[in-house]
Amino acid sequence: MDLDRTTTALLAGLFDPRNAAAWEAFDLRYRPILVGFARNCGLKDNDANEIAQETIVRFVEEYRAGKYDRTRGRLGAWLVTIARYRMLDVKRRAGTARIARGDSAMVDLDDERSVSAAYEAERRQGLLREALEELRTKSRVDPKTVKAFEMLVYHSLSPAVVAEQLGISTHDVYLAKSRVAAKLREIVLRLESEYEETPGEWDAAGARPSDGLRA
Amino acid sequence: MSADQTVIGCGQYSRDDLELAALARADAEVPVPAGVGEHIESCPVCRAIVERFAADNAFLGEFVQVARSRESSRSGSRAEARAEAIAAETHLSPIAGYRLGDEIHRGGQGAVYRAEQLATRRTCAVKMLLRGRFASDRELVRFEREVEVVARMRHPSIVTLYESGVSREGEPWFAMELVDGERLDVAVRARHAGPRDIARLVKQVAEAVAYAHRRGVIHRDLKPGNILVDKDGVPRVLDFGLARADEEGDAAGNQISPSAGATRAGEFLGTFAYAAPEQLAGDPNSIDTRCDLYALGVVLYECLAGRKPFEGARSIAELVEQKTHSAPERPSARNSAVDRDLDVIALRLLAADPARRYDTADALVEDLARYLDGRPILAREDSVAYVVGKTLRRHWLLSSTAAVLLVTIVASGVALAVAYSRAERERARSERTLQGFREALGSANPESGKGSADISVDRFLDLIEENASNALKDEPSVLAGVLDTIGIVHLGFDDAKRAEPALRRALDERRELFNAGGCTALELAESLHNMGRLLILKNDLPAAETAYREALVIRERDLGGDHQLALLTGRHLASCLRRQQRIDEALAMYDALFRRASALPDYPPEEFAALRNGRAFIYFQANQLDLALAEFTGALEAVRRATGTDDDYRVGRTLFSIARVEDRLGRRDDALAHATAAQEILRKRKGGDAATVVDIDKLVAKLREQSKQ
Repeated sequence: MDLDRTTTALLAGLFDPRNAAAWEAFDLRYRPILVGFARNCGLKDNDANEIAQETIVRFVEEYRAGKYDRTRGRLGAWLVTIARYRMLDVKRRAGTARIARGDSAMVDLDDERSVSAAYEAERRQGLLREALEELRTKSRVDPKTVKAFEMLVYHSLSPAVVAEQLGISTHDVYLAKSRVAAKLREIVLRLESEYEETPGEWDAAGARPSDGLRA
Repeated sequence: MSADQTVIGCGQYSRDDLELAALARADAEVPVPAGVGEHIESCPVCRAIVERFAADNAFLGEFVQVARSRESSRSGSRAEARAEAIAAETHLSPIAGYRLGDEIHRGGQGAVYRAEQLATRRTCAVKMLLRGRFASDRELVRFEREVEVVARMRHPSIVTLYESGVSREGEPWFAMELVDGERLDVAVRARHAGPRDIARLVKQVAEAVAYAHRRGVIHRDLKPGNILVDKDGVPRVLDFGLARADEEGDAAGNQISPSAGATRAGEFLGTFAYAAPEQLAGDPNSIDTRCDLYALGVVLYECLAGRKPFEGARSIAELVEQKTHSAPERPSARNSAVDRDLDVIALRLLAADPARRYDTADALVEDLARYLDGRPILAREDSVAYVVGKTLRRHWLLSSTAAVLLVTIVASGVALAVAYSRAERERARSERTLQGFREALGSANPESGKGSADISVDRFLDLIEENASNALKDEPSVLAGVLDTIGIVHLGFDDAKRAEPALRRALDERRELFNAGGCTALELAESLHNMGRLLILKNDLPAAETAYREALVIRERDLGGDHQLALLTGRHLASCLRRQQRIDEALAMYDALFRRASALPDYPPEEFAALRNGRAFIYFQANQLDLALAEFTGALEAVRRATGTDDDYRVGRTLFSIARVEDRLGRRDDALAHATAAQEILRKRKGGDAATVVDIDKLVAKLREQSKQ
């Protein structure tokens, strides 16, 4: 685990307004999650971006003012609370017209459990995306192995077709899948520990029950 | 297609069978091979394997959802879904927004692929360059800005550049129009094109070149391989303005091994054929639009005569000699169908002195049009003899000493040392350095590798460096001089990456020699000064300062504080201090230098101009705008006096500096006038200043906008 990248380290860095690196890393980690989350709650792209922006800024303000205490709840839960109020606000301001769009969304903003689940799903996806990105760019896994994995898993091509296209044996294709799975597991595990949001790891006070956080 | 029959587990079933069994757990439609299901129940080894496979599949399945979830979670429009699909696909491609297809071409610079731009579904070509070519992010930024300029060009005979970027692996790339066509020389041969067809084709190419020149873009590497004739018979010019970056990359991407020497020399000869003499001198400031005209001359000549203007040289040295000192045979001597006018046009383009070529590509277009219409052409025949004579006379002295013009130009650093130092010992050493270059050149035999393409000045220098390293093993002081000179030439191209090894070797060598009494302190100072320049380029200012200070101590001690070389090092040091924001120290230093220089009767006006320019920058940095304006204006006068022309890149840059100060002072009209003048000069004269031109364009646009309001 890269200790500088843990959420704890990022939060420590956020205390210092001049620590641009911590701010950027924090923003990079949570903004996409919040944007996706807000979209899943039925907001249009513009509004979703705005919600993400407001939520992050608001969180950092509260955090610097000492309002957020990690021992009292998960960071994600805190963000969800801020974002949810903002979204309800947007909908109220937009009146009935906007709600019509909201109805088609998967998530009912009045149901806290479903909102939390949506956030958690988005967070997990963000993490998986990051893991994929790392697999492709930073890990030392052979590009051909990655390619075989992508063709096999993403494009649902049969192992024989993949083998032929890449000029390797079917056995190599299977091996590629196993290798990538092992590597991705390793990356995901490390990222989860960096996020420090594994359900159950936190003091329960103020947090949502962990079994309700899985999509 | 054979399935995987590798036997795993307890040895009873193949990997394929067990993988299928694992898939069947999640998907009832997957058929389980006969017997496997029962076997797993009873065999713990195979069961564990199947469970692991199934777990892998489930885990990886989560990632598939990541890619697809956005589409399914939102009931967006088809366009939205498509955008998402593109985003997902982009995620899989090494280049965002493109799907790469077959490789079309692979060379030393990288590879060209057929590609599809996903957003527009248009087919294009993507050229991936090797990351190694760019020594620093700064160079990468410069490349991207050049691409930005080139991408704005729209001309039927220019292959349009779409955009550029950096791949996931960090390789720069650019996307361009995909042209289905043949190289110009191949097309001319295949179509049995006559002189008029050739003139028409070259005229179209010249129109494209003229168009680019008007936008400040110089091609720098025109040759038949960069001109494709498409299916409609229209010539299309490739890689405008990118030759510079390519050269660097080529040299950086390929290590030269001793055994490859001969081939490399042959390749070099290939590029030599299209490069103008002044281009080969390695001075980036001498490269202007007329280099492209020379290259067009070679292309025209080759198409007409069926051979290059200078062939049959046994060595590079001989080729250079021919190229600078003799006029080529008329094309009509080889091809009787060629008439006098085309002879004259081709030879006019091949004049060794750029001033004797056509002034602009437009003038060439005009003459070719006149030829095609049967009107009299404007180029006059006697100019060729005139040029050759004049060139011969001008270079007579150098030629007789060093035998090869190129050698003397490349070794201009050495020539300077000869001029500055009267001591016989120094002179002898410098001449031996020249001899070292000459031998390096002469030993490269091009015959075995004739006909292949691309090699750059960079690679040529590598060749010299390598040969010199071998030939001068026992003459370390001469070798140090050669290395220093090679480093200086690279510095002239702002190429820190390639300058560094040569300059470091030279400095190490000289330090050792100096300690052993094998070279003078002044030689050491020279290497230190050059090291300072390198470090400035690398933006390692404290280290540069140390090097300059050491050089300055030696030069002031051994030459006196009023010596030009001491003043030169002093000026560099002052600039180094300024860059470190040490304004007061720098200002004091400039003032002292200025006082000393003013007292010298023969202080070079260029140096004066540089001093004033440096001082002006300090005032600018300190926001003392009135003083800055006065100094820049003084520098401008000095540059004009020194160069005797307005058509110099330094004039252009100084005008731009003045415009920037005036802009800050709120003197919009003056700023606009000066910026426009700078625009004109830099666009015309220097493609290498493309980045500056972009900055000027921005300032001009801003000022115009403001004056409207």
